[in-house]
Amino acid sequence: MSNSLEQSFVTQLKENQNIIHKICRLYTSDEDAHNDLFQEVTIQLWKAFPKFRGDSKFSTWAYRVALNTAITLYRKSKRIVATTDMEGKRQFIAPEDYNFEEEEQIKLLYKAVQQLNDIEKALVFMYLEDKNYDEIAETLGISEVNARVKMNRIKGKLKKIVNP
Amino acid sequence: MMTEELEILKKAWKNDTYSYAQVTEIQIYDMIHKRSSSIVKWILVISLIELVVWSAISLLYVDDEYIKTIELYQLDTLFKIVGIINYGVIFYFIFRFYKNFKTISTTENIRNLMKSIINTRKTVQYYIWYNLGMFTLIFITVVISQIIYDPNLNQIIEQTKNSFPRSFWFIIGMTYVALFAITLGLFWLFYKLIYGFLMKRLYRNYEELKKMEY
Repeated sequence: MSNSLEQSFVTQLKENQNIIHKICRLYTSDEDAHNDLFQEVTIQLWKAFPKFRGDSKFSTWAYRVALNTAITLYRKSKRIVATTDMEGKRQFIAPEDYNFEEEEQIKLLYKAVQQLNDIEKALVFMYLEDKNYDEIAETLGISEVNARVKMNRIKGKLKKIVNP
Repeated sequence: MMTEELEILKKAWKNDTYSYAQVTEIQIYDMIHKRSSSIVKWILVISLIELVVWSAISLLYVDDEYIKTIELYQLDTLFKIVGIINYGVIFYFIFRFYKNFKTISTTENIRNLMKSIINTRKTVQYYIWYNLGMFTLIFITVVISQIIYDPNLNQIIEQTKNSFPRSFWFIIGMTYVALFAITLGLFWLFYKLIYGFLMKRLYRNYEELKKMEY
């Protein structure tokens, strides 16, 4: 692999890393697992990078590979031992209009989303990323109608989890 | 209303209330030089071992003693044909495996990626079933030929005809069958364990996607 290819990849990934972090957050529950998944996603992205032609945005291309890795390819590696709670470890910068009540609600919602299955998480991820149903359906490999139906079911499911 | 709540989450999601510990360029450089631990890598490694081991067993088990024995049992022509078929089948499976493996791509949609992994895996599985089937057939053919053509065995049968009752031979036969069944069972268990471990999550997610289509 040429160095310029490597350089280009590293720069773009660094700039777009938050989208990968967001996926890792949905699919893992502690910091070590988060980092481990991030590492595997990075390897898979790098392997696929020579075929990335730039006809889509780097972030769009990257989130698909990341979802595929999280749902299909990833196996927890053995080096994960510690199980520190992610919520405690994440750096949190409170904005000026910080609302504690809302923050609690968001935490609760994140926990609810983490209880969903792998496929449902992928749908929620794309929904939160404001992807249209056409793209959601294409990414999963199902029809658009079914993607909509499923999303509505997930909303119902989340409602039950949050308000039992 | 839940929808509103999901919208709250969406807002937080966009504002990135949580700032993720940022990975540096140097860390990314390190990461891309590390080894993957993806299931595809494991499936490739295990499959290659399987192909090599099974091919070796079916192709290399030939020595003078063996040739003499199959000539005695009048199986030499049959085994030659089986040998040629085996070569063909091995090449076919390696070709299929290669073709399927090449279709595995992380840039495909989720369902197609799962499908191509499952297909690759199935190719190897079929190859193992083929081998087990072939072994069963060869085993039965050899036992039957042995009874018909082996002078030593016939002599033993002749000599013990009066001293051992029929049930004795029945028990011998059943022992053969039981041993064979146990061997097959162990194979089955072995594969269940290996692939269950690797593929459980993939199958579960694949079923989940399939369920959505109905």
